[in-house]
Amino acid sequence: MFELTLQALFSGLLAGGYYATVAVGLALVFGTMRVINLAHGELVLLAAYVAYAAETSYGVNPVMAIPVALVIVGSASAIVYALLSRIRQDREINSLILTFGLGIILTNAILSIWKADIHSTSDPWFQDSMVVADTLFAMNAEVASFVGGLVLMAGVWWWLNHSWQGRAVRALSSNRAAATLMGVNPRKIEILSFLIAALLATFAGFAIYTGKTVFPALGHVLTVKAFIITVLAGMGSIPGVLIGAVMIGVIESLTVTYLSASLQELAGMILFLVVLFVSPSGLFGGGRALAR
Amino acid sequence: MNRLLLIAALAIAYVGVPLLFDGNAYVLGLIVAALTIAGVAVAWALLGNLGGMVSFGHAAFFGVGSYTSAVLAMKLGVPVFAAMLLGGVGAAVSSIAMLPALRLRGPYFALAILAYAHIFQILATEMTPVTGGAGGLLSIPRFPKILGFDFGEKLGGYLIVLTIVVLAALAYDAIRRSTWGLALKAMHDTEVATRVVGVPSTHLKAAMLVLSAFLTGLVGAFNAHFISFLDPHYAFSSGWTVLPIAAAIFGGYRTVWGPVVGALAIYLVDQLLFKPILPHGHQMILGVLLCAMILFSPGGLMPALRRRPVKESRHAHA
Amino acid sequence: MTRTLANFVTISALALSVTLGAGAAQAKDFLLGSELPLTGSLARVGQGMHEGISVAIEMANRSYAGKHSFKVQTIDDETSPAKGVAAVEKLAGDGVVAITGGYGSNIIGPASEAAQKAGLVYITSGGVSPELTQRGYPTFFRINNTDGYALAMIGLLQEMGAKKVSIVYLNKDATSSLAKQVNSALTAKGVTVGMHEFDGSTSDFKPLMNKVKLQDRPDAIAMVGYENDYVGILRAAKVLKPQVKAVVGVWSLATAQMAKEFPDLMENVYGTSMLPYPVEFTQPEAVEFAATYKKLFNKDPDYLGQFGYVQTRLLIDAVVRADEAGTLAKGGLPDELRKTDANTLIGRVTFDKNGDNLNFTHRMGQHQGGKVVLVWPQDAANGKMNFPAVPW
Repeated sequence: MFELTLQALFSGLLAGGYYATVAVGLALVFGTMRVINLAHGELVLLAAYVAYAAETSYGVNPVMAIPVALVIVGSASAIVYALLSRIRQDREINSLILTFGLGIILTNAILSIWKADIHSTSDPWFQDSMVVADTLFAMNAEVASFVGGLVLMAGVWWWLNHSWQGRAVRALSSNRAAATLMGVNPRKIEILSFLIAALLATFAGFAIYTGKTVFPALGHVLTVKAFIITVLAGMGSIPGVLIGAVMIGVIESLTVTYLSASLQELAGMILFLVVLFVSPSGLFGGGRALAR
Repeated sequence: MNRLLLIAALAIAYVGVPLLFDGNAYVLGLIVAALTIAGVAVAWALLGNLGGMVSFGHAAFFGVGSYTSAVLAMKLGVPVFAAMLLGGVGAAVSSIAMLPALRLRGPYFALAILAYAHIFQILATEMTPVTGGAGGLLSIPRFPKILGFDFGEKLGGYLIVLTIVVLAALAYDAIRRSTWGLALKAMHDTEVATRVVGVPSTHLKAAMLVLSAFLTGLVGAFNAHFISFLDPHYAFSSGWTVLPIAAAIFGGYRTVWGPVVGALAIYLVDQLLFKPILPHGHQMILGVLLCAMILFSPGGLMPALRRRPVKESRHAHA
Repeated sequence: MTRTLANFVTISALALSVTLGAGAAQAKDFLLGSELPLTGSLARVGQGMHEGISVAIEMANRSYAGKHSFKVQTIDDETSPAKGVAAVEKLAGDGVVAITGGYGSNIIGPASEAAQKAGLVYITSGGVSPELTQRGYPTFFRINNTDGYALAMIGLLQEMGAKKVSIVYLNKDATSSLAKQVNSALTAKGVTVGMHEFDGSTSDFKPLMNKVKLQDRPDAIAMVGYENDYVGILRAAKVLKPQVKAVVGVWSLATAQMAKEFPDLMENVYGTSMLPYPVEFTQPEAVEFAATYKKLFNKDPDYLGQFGYVQTRLLIDAVVRADEAGTLAKGGLPDELRKTDANTLIGRVTFDKNGDNLNFTHRMGQHQGGKVVLVWPQDAANGKMNFPAVPW
């Protein structure tokens, strides 16, 4: 019984790591530009497929392909930004539809290039198991993704708090007019946040390719999950995203273990609603979620 | 919209289309599907414009309406038309569970409704004795014959959904022009001020949510009896959220008839024009069209179509 | 004399043109319709079935060359029931003679109903749910069903002598009805069964697998799901290493595709499979099938292609028979199809009054060293099973 719980917690923690890496990029863009990039999941998927192409067509270890993926996903992200910045009125809803349209284009492009089969890494290292204290089991890929994700998120968090550009990002999201007056170039900062989001998305894509399976329809699923976690965490909080993601991962895992695996998604959704009603601006948000 | 134009369009819809397409089950079927999307689009736009709340989870109301109506008709023997109305009522009742979400702003509200949609879908999958579980319900009763006219046939279905959409749009328009519409508009600008003046803003918003849910549920119930099949994945499919939003935006969601025009345009052009030409790429075209619309005419198709006469008259005066 | 000669020539000419004309009238082009998911979540299976149908058309054109020709018009149903209905209606409007295709009981239900209304035969291998053949539609035919899969799985587990089995199954319709069928059959024979239902969104199966490992402690794990579920379950099992003697799955598992993509994961895993891999066809029809498949699509046929081929071939043969009997235009195709009694790639096929092929019993194959070896039933086996054996 105890073993079951421990494993459930451990699995939930690692699952939360995956969710967090996917969500942080979306959260960053949401925080800076107040724009929800509904194509974010597709960007993650694009990175995963680049990893797949590298591994199967060129026999390259997925990790080696990360630079190539960064360029591709970065360019795609920059294009999304360029299109988004052309929207003048009704920003919130119009950017939703635009990014949604871009998501459809990306998903169908991936479908036509790589077809609908499922894929995952065949590199054995990623699939080997790691055992902790004889009771906790995980795949190498999961632990590597968790650790790597943590490092990356810590890096982004440090950058937001201690570098000039990072602080400019936070200033812009806090009060756009004032930040501009203080010498922050909004366009440069916005495109920077999109590129950082692309970096995070690339890592997430590789994490998913090595630890789970990818298929074209996954993009939409990832976007929804990322969106939910972003809102759960509250605006502008990177640690919040990690905590929120781990909470969801653990709740899902415990539900599977003690109730029924088919209720997994239900548990996550209910948790989300409960948090939202109790604390409308999310767990760590800035208190701007209520209607005026 | 111009009264004359509206009457002409209705005449074409009620008389012209049946005359033209009665024999062609395929095209009629497509038009019915497009109108189903249009109905949800109108309901969504109503909530967005009058209620000021953008929802990402209208599939929840669609699915609840479908299942309520189907189960009532199949397990309790309720006559189909009555079951359809009760389906709408069921969706409206389910929206009461969402009232706590009303105090959330923008994307938070939108996502909360999405969470509800997922929850309802899972409930529908698990409550097998009632909903048929993952397998769903097959052979749901179709619409009956009334006075010799078989409403269960394609043409009958068309007339029913057309009437629903027209009534929904007229209701939307009526509310917009009424004093309640004025109050709602004022609420958008500043809710605090309107409350001070005595407008029961929360009640109004709730009323809009319930109405939007009722209309969407009604359309969902219609669809269940028209297709005669339901399963959780289909009833709560994200397509029922996404396509109406795209249709409303495309057609111009600030107008009453924009969503209807948008739905017909997107669905029919996609299925009749693009799909035969590009069997594998036509969904991508939809994506491209949506992006183009947002970038070049964010107000949608209707304002774009109206723009030209205005420009010419300006030149004339100059 | 000249007159008799002239008469003779005229009559011969007339006779000749009548014969030629009649012969020409008998050489027909038949247009078949096909409604399949080519996009959407079932795109992979739809594509596989489409390939099999194309091979059947190509082979039919070869074997009936000079007498008849066949074409198929394929419309994508985008994995949506409404669009499936629309596709059938469009095909009916275009004058197809019958419809082959369809995947997913939830799409086949409404689509075959539309076919029934249009009076068109609808033959499929993608709808195994029991309700489909209980509607009393004379135009609905299918060459496989849940029972066939269940019998294969049950038979294998029995032969292994498993006393405790854990069934891990997806909460969709086809998978859960199969799981429940296996459950009741095994329980009736005194086997202890643990049932674990999971949701399609599950990507981490470790918590579930841990429950199986620590609470159930079964002899064998049975999994009922689709490819991504199998991969997830096997990966979790490889990490947790439960002490079981066999892992058994159903469709989409014992395939060449899985052997190539996930070789370390598949070793010693069982799944349903009609043919071994590498395909060792001996029967002439099967050899031609494999060769045509290779020529058209540059790959080996998988089970989807096999089913798509068989259903279409049976349909074509029935169409030709009905045409020759003169009943095709008068709606005689369903009756003609019901007269089918053929030995096909998937075994013997006949159709009962509900259009179901009750002979259908699947076979179980096991991944062994990159190959798929048929191990059950004995009379179809081409190898021995590695038992007890698991991929870790």
